[in-house]
Amino acid sequence: MKVKICLIGKGTVGKCFLELLNKKLPIFKHKFDIDIVIVGIFEIDGGLVNKSGLNIRKVIEMDKDFRKLNDWKFNINPLDLISKIDVDICIETTPTNPETGEPALSHIKAAIKNGIHIIASNKGPFYLKYKEIKELANKNACLIQYEATVASGVPILSIKKSLGASKIKAIRAILNGTSNYILSRMASEGIDFSIALKEAQELGYAEADPTLDIEGYDAAGKLVILANELLGWSKSIQDVKIRGISKITPQAIELAKSDGYIIKHLAIAENNSLIVEPRLIENYSALNISGTLNVIELKTEYMGSIVLMGRGAGGYEAASAILNDLFYICDFLKKDDNI
Amino acid sequence: MINLEVKIPDTPGTLIELIKPISNNGGNIFGILHHHDKKINNLIPVDLTFELPEELREKALESIKSELRKENIQIDRISLGTEKRHLTILLTGHVFDTDVVDTIKRLAKKKIIVTGLEARFTEVDDISTVKFSLELPESISEKNLINEMNKICEEKNLMMIRV
Repeated sequence: MKVKICLIGKGTVGKCFLELLNKKLPIFKHKFDIDIVIVGIFEIDGGLVNKSGLNIRKVIEMDKDFRKLNDWKFNINPLDLISKIDVDICIETTPTNPETGEPALSHIKAAIKNGIHIIASNKGPFYLKYKEIKELANKNACLIQYEATVASGVPILSIKKSLGASKIKAIRAILNGTSNYILSRMASEGIDFSIALKEAQELGYAEADPTLDIEGYDAAGKLVILANELLGWSKSIQDVKIRGISKITPQAIELAKSDGYIIKHLAIAENNSLIVEPRLIENYSALNISGTLNVIELKTEYMGSIVLMGRGAGGYEAASAILNDLFYICDFLKKDDNI
Repeated sequence: MINLEVKIPDTPGTLIELIKPISNNGGNIFGILHHHDKKINNLIPVDLTFELPEELREKALESIKSELRKENIQIDRISLGTEKRHLTILLTGHVFDTDVVDTIKRLAKKKIIVTGLEARFTEVDDISTVKFSLELPESISEKNLINEMNKICEEKNLMMIRV
């Protein structure tokens, strides 16, 4: 059985995905008897298209010079071609506009309308238009997988499949590595927010414009996805009460410490409300993690708390989540094919 | 903690009817005491101690009362415990310039007692961070406290950091 894929966005995540896929191709053959064929790779200025399948190894080898390959065509875009090329799964990894979710939102909608299953690493479309995407996918009998959108490779969305008998009642999490790095450094070194931010920028942990991270919008988007997916809510980012960490002072951290607390930028979903704000947590709390890590605590109906922790960003981490999503869809297609 | 004093008939199955409404409304029962020695007219006084989830407390208590009445269980008394809780919150901003005494008095009006204050600031005109150690009677929920603090913070442009 052949499964045809198109990849939209060949940035860091797209590039890492191709590398991992190339390494894991034998597993698809061995486990599902599926041959993965990449028929299209699109970038902002054009795309590589070959209906018989692109040579993945060559695309990887060419690295940034992939436009020199014979299959490259300038000025073509996936929106025009999605209905014309035969594709089973579309993998969307373009950078998101946080206010519109574009261009990923249009790519996802167009693919679903053409009956194509979706794997996405962009959270924008899901915290803005979750309900619309889900309804469209149901109507067109398409699967949508988006594990990489929250905490990257940490399998937090797929955990729901393993917890069928025990309802998740509430979520408390640290979902932004940048703000956690800054607060961790302020706590360990007693330095000002501005110095910790500058350090994070120099190390590449913070963007030149860090607003989305430090003011809590990035974490809020991820929290919406978690709440909708794991708690069964139907919220959008407008429903989140958001407060950032830029006003946290070393003095506040010192006072918190004197009572056995630490200040963390928590994302909380409980009692039908969504909050991202600085909170006090006990020193011994499982949420007290340092550096750029992410952590998610799920409060369950019968099993108490479950905590997942891991690296919440990075090309290979996101690519690994995409690959897991691809395993899931291939497993579904194989079973569907056997019926 | 909630203490419920009732009288139930000394007949099999009545205790279940007493416990059901508490359990149905999310109550966690800590203890049941039968006063067989005080039985009058086949009615036994029973003391029951339980707790309800804070956010549902008022609604659940009303529902329990109504369900017990439907079962013709005579309620003698319901009392809320007198246990006090202690909480820490931090306020950042111009906490002193915006009249910290007024903040303390407004909390006191809601029966929230400030038992300790600890402040850190760099310069007199600069913003400060103040740790408030608070004592709440059991009748005041954390939600009430947060609502009151949110009002004060919004009015005085302060930032609250809580557990």
